[in-house]
Parts: sequence; structure tokens; C-alpha cells
Amino acid sequence: MATTTKKKLPVFEPPAGSLAHAPLGQGCFLGETERLQAPKLKEALATIKNWFRANSLWVMAYGTGCGAIELRPLVTSRFDFERFGMAMRPTSRQSNVLIISGYLAVKSLKRVIRAYEQMPSPKWVVGLGSCTINGGMYWDSYNTINRLDLYLPVDMYIAGCMPRPEALLAGFGDLMQRIKRGEANGWHHYLENFDWYKANQKKVITDWNMPDYNW
Amino acid sequence: MTEILDQIRQRFGAEWQHVQRPDLLQIGVDAKKVVPLLTWLKEHTPFVQLTHLSAVDWIEEGQFQLTYLLTDPTAHVSLMVCARIDRDAAEAESVSALWPQAVTYEQEINEMFGIRFPGSPRQGVPFILEGWDDIPPMRRDFDTVAYMNTRHPPRPGRKHTDPRAYVGQVFGERGFLHDD
Amino acid sequence: MPFVVKLGWSLVGVVAAIAYGLTIGGLIRKVMARIQGRIGPPVWQPFIDLGKVIFQRTATQHGVMFYLAPIFRAGGGMGLYLLVPVIIGVPALENFSFNGDLLLVMYFIFFGSLGMALGAAEAGHPHAPIGISRGLSQMTAYELPFALAMVALAAQVHSFSIREIVIAQQGSVLHWNLFANPLAAAAAFLAFLGMNMYSPFNIVGAPQEIPVGPPTEYNSKFLSLMMSGRAILAVAKIVLFMDLFLGGAHSLLEVFAKTLVIYFWSVFVGAVFPRFRTEQSIRFFLGWPTVAGLAGVLLVLVR
Repeated sequence: MATTTKKKLPVFEPPAGSLAHAPLGQGCFLGETERLQAPKLKEALATIKNWFRANSLWVMAYGTGCGAIELRPLVTSRFDFERFGMAMRPTSRQSNVLIISGYLAVKSLKRVIRAYEQMPSPKWVVGLGSCTINGGMYWDSYNTINRLDLYLPVDMYIAGCMPRPEALLAGFGDLMQRIKRGEANGWHHYLENFDWYKANQKKVITDWNMPDYNW
Repeated sequence: MTEILDQIRQRFGAEWQHVQRPDLLQIGVDAKKVVPLLTWLKEHTPFVQLTHLSAVDWIEEGQFQLTYLLTDPTAHVSLMVCARIDRDAAEAESVSALWPQAVTYEQEINEMFGIRFPGSPRQGVPFILEGWDDIPPMRRDFDTVAYMNTRHPPRPGRKHTDPRAYVGQVFGERGFLHDD
Repeated sequence: MPFVVKLGWSLVGVVAAIAYGLTIGGLIRKVMARIQGRIGPPVWQPFIDLGKVIFQRTATQHGVMFYLAPIFRAGGGMGLYLLVPVIIGVPALENFSFNGDLLLVMYFIFFGSLGMALGAAEAGHPHAPIGISRGLSQMTAYELPFALAMVALAAQVHSFSIREIVIAQQGSVLHWNLFANPLAAAAAFLAFLGMNMYSPFNIVGAPQEIPVGPPTEYNSKFLSLMMSGRAILAVAKIVLFMDLFLGGAHSLLEVFAKTLVIYFWSVFVGAVFPRFRTEQSIRFFLGWPTVAGLAGVLLVLVR
């Protein structure tokens, strides 16, 4: 296979053994998955915690599919989701809700799994549009998944193609009600049935080159 | 702008030609003449821009057709150069030396159709399909519904409706709502 | 007043300052929302955010400096707050001002960003060093007009104590340093825009380019410490500016009114300006604000 004649920039590597680093394993959680908290601690302050969590939902600014086009009007002045305490965060470490907006290609699914597992733990997944429910418009595509809840625990589906911002507001309102009632425990389900989810994910993602749990 | 078609026919010979719109001309040439023709078009005519490169699967005739869409950016006229190659030994000459954007198109066609472009970089590098283990999916002998049923099975209890029957039920025989 | 009692009152003041900082944050979001024609979050939304962040599980941590960075930032803010007198005449709220604390104040303002820089080194992703290199280079630029303004004020009052500066401004509104030394005030208020890292100087944490830069990997309790640290650093800065340029305060109402005016100065500028690139902001700070600061120093020396 011929290659184009591109000038390679010189790369200087430090001499072997000159960079000291902490031994792997210190602060890394290789080979471990997240563990659930003891349940008795949760019940004591559950109502207060859920009220705080529901009134300050931070959404990860990751538009996985074409449904994200309806998320943008939600942020702007006409529909304004900031009045419910919601905000868009650019990093998965600081977000609570992952919105799968529309179809999910297998290539995106790999990245979405990594982003989902990197989110800190009371976290929720919202499936936007028919493609997450049963494949939608792309039901017969070789490249998109048909059932989102085989790979990620979904707490709220919002049907439509794509759902308008009013439908999104109604869906988020329902999600907040579910969180306050303590019913939205998708992340529990993920950790309890971790092997089942991981087997499903590995069945579609054939070139798995990530850790099993991406902290 | 149809003089360009006559010029191409005189210089290189063409199998067919068609004027679809005043600003969309089509010509079919032999596969071996594609690169000389495109080089001549790029260097000596106003058609300097490669806008698109795609493939068509003529499975009944056992051929692939490569379609090069060139544009004249000043007169806003497009020229489609179509060439047929054999379907079983699917190889074509790369135009990546003329236009660097052809590298991406050839990478995609290689992934989706299985047509090889020897000499083009990034052939075989996955573009959209990571870890693909079946035949190239845009080929017409790839059964996408069968693949979907095995790899992405639908939710149990899903009802299937044939669109033609449904449209007939709701909108009547003519296919649209009529009030007379 | 015995030292221990004063320390107790100062710590109560720290907690009140954090609450005040968070409330100001919420008020700003409400005002910006109303400017943009929408309803906006409730004013107490930052408290809800803080509570939610505290009740999260920690996803990951990256080492010793990762822990220490928000502590440095909050420590810088608290140290700054403990040095500036909030209300003159009420010993409980006068905090610990002494001769020379004007220089210490500049150090504490720098210390906050230094903490972020140390944390960015162990953040575990490449966006943090990018963000913090931009922030620190911008900081070296705005330190110059700020330091010149401080020198001008100190030369005017012949003392490096903030309390002396406040007392020198008593008498009438025209004795305020805003009007007595307007060039130093101009230099300092322009440096204040850079200090707050609000638009147009918010290249440090540009959300679309580098996902908020240094605080990217901070989650749950680390993030709560960063949020409260940011709140108290903001409050301490505006109280400092109130003392230096707006004549200090004699009552709580004056504190609120004057600090809100100073904070809204940066918000209103931020609402109309887009973001500057790093080299543009450095070039800006080394231009007119430095000239104003130098002129302020010369004015004091000549008078």
C-alpha cells in the first residue's frame, strides 16, 4: 500500500526510565467496577437528597443524534429549561443526565458507554425519540441499535420524531417527579445487572478496546 | 455548456451522454479513461472541483458504476462522469493525486462497497463501521433486515405494518385524502 | 475584643460570605435571564446546585494535588476575606487588618489561581493545562495595573494597611478614592474584570473549546469545595474593592449596595462583550490600564 509523501515531524522521546510516575493502581481502579452503597444509608436522607437532585439536573451537552436539534431551542429564551434548574455541562464528570437524542450508531454507542460510566453516580438516561424505543425511522439499518435499554438503563423515554421542546419539558418534568418519588434508579439497575449489560454491549461492539468499566 | 460533452467525446470517446438539466450534464466513459479524462477536465476546462464521488451497484449486470461529480464553480454547472467496473474484481484507479478530498470518498466507498482503490491512503481504515464482520453493507446482496434481526433484534411485541396497506386503509385507493 | 471571640465572629463572617457569594451568583443568573427575555432560575438556585453536588458519589480522583487544589482556592478566598474589614466601626466585622496587608491581599488573590494551576497538573486530561496556562498568563497581565493602583493608593495614604485607606476616605463622597484618584480606580476596575474571569476574559474556562478547562475532572465534593471557594473569593474581592475605592461601609445595607454595584460592573461589561483571546487580553491589560495605573502613581507623587 503506497503512502503519500508527508514529512514526518521529529518526535523526541525522553530517555528510558527518566520520567518518574506513580505506580499504576494507586488511584486507578483497574479491573474494578463501581459498588452500590449500603441501602440503609440511602433511606434516611432520601427525600431531601432526591429533592436537591431533581431541582438541579445538569445535562451533559452531548448530542448523540438528530434529536439534539430540539434540545437547542429548549435552552434558548422561548422554552427556557434553566428555570427548572437545569443546565448544560460540557463534561461528564459534572453532569447527571445523559440524553440519547435519537438514533444511536454502534460507533456512538461505544463512546456513549464510556461517557455514561464516567458520570458520577446518581445519574439518569433519557431516551429521546422513537429510535431509542424501537428503532424508529432507522429500524432496519445495519448501523443503529433498536433497543436502547439493552445497553444502558433508561429512566425516561420521550416519544416523538423528534419530540418538540414542549414534549421535552413534559418529559423532564416527569423525570423530576420520578426522581423525587425515588423511582428513577437506573444506575442501580446498571450496577446490579452489570454482566448482562456488558454482554449485550459486547455483542454489538465487536472491537472492544476499552476497560470493562470506564471510571 | 453542452460543448464540453462534444469535446469529451472527441478526445476520449464516450459510451453515452445525457443532459438532465442545463446545469447538470452526464457522460459515461470507459473505466480506463477516467483518470486521463478527469486530469484533462481539471487542468484544461473550468470543471476544477470534485464535489462528490459515489458508487452504484448494478447487481443484475454484474457491475459497479463509479460516479464522479465535477463542478464548475464560476458557471455553477455540474458534470457527472460515470464509469462501469467489474463487480467481482472491483478495482478502480484512485484520483487522490488530483484532489485530496477524494481520499475520504474512496475510503468510504471501500468500506461500504468493497471497491479497492490501489494507491489511495486510508484504504481499509474504518470510517463509520468499526469492527465490521460482514460483507460491505451498501452492496445490494447484503440483506439489511436479516442483519438487523440477528444483531439488533426489535422489541418483542412490535407490530409490523406494511406501509402500502396502511396508506390504502387511511387514504383510500388514490393514496391521498380526497373530498368529492 | 479578645482574639478568640473575634476569630469566631470572623468565621461566622466567612460562612455568611459564602452564602452571600452564592446568592449573588443566583441573582446574576436571574438578571441575565431577564435581560435575555426569559424567566431564569430562582435566586437560590446555586444553593440547590451546591446541595446536589454534595450529595453525589465521587466518580474518581487523581492524586494529592487534585485534593489540594480546591482547598488552596478556598483557602485563598478565606485568607483574603479575613484581611479586609467589612464594616468599619463594628469590631466583630472588622476582621484582621494590619499594616502591610495590602501586599498580602495581592498574594492571596494570586493564590487562588495558583491552587487551580496545581490541581490542573494532576487533572488527568489535557484540557486542564491548556486552560490554566491561559489563565495564568492572563493573570500576570492584569496584576500589573492592579499592583500599580495599589501602589498609588498606598503612596496616597502613606500606609499599606487597608484599614488606614478606608479611614482616609471618610468625610464625604468626594473623598472616596474613586474620585480622589480616578486613574488608579480606572486601572484597578479594569484589572477587576480580569480577576473575575468573567466575559470578556473567561478564556480560562471556555466551555465550548476546552470543557471548562481546569475544573473538568472535578466532581461531587471536590466540586462543592470549588463552588464555595469561588463564591468566597468573589465576595472577598468585591469587599476589598469597596474598601479601597468606595469608602468602606458603616452598615450592612451599605455593604450590600456597594458590593452589588461593583459586581454588576463586571456583569454588565460581560453581557455586551464577547470573549477575548489570550494574547488580545494580555495586550489589552498592558495597554491603557497600565498607562492609567502609571498615571495614577505619578499623580500621587506629584501632588
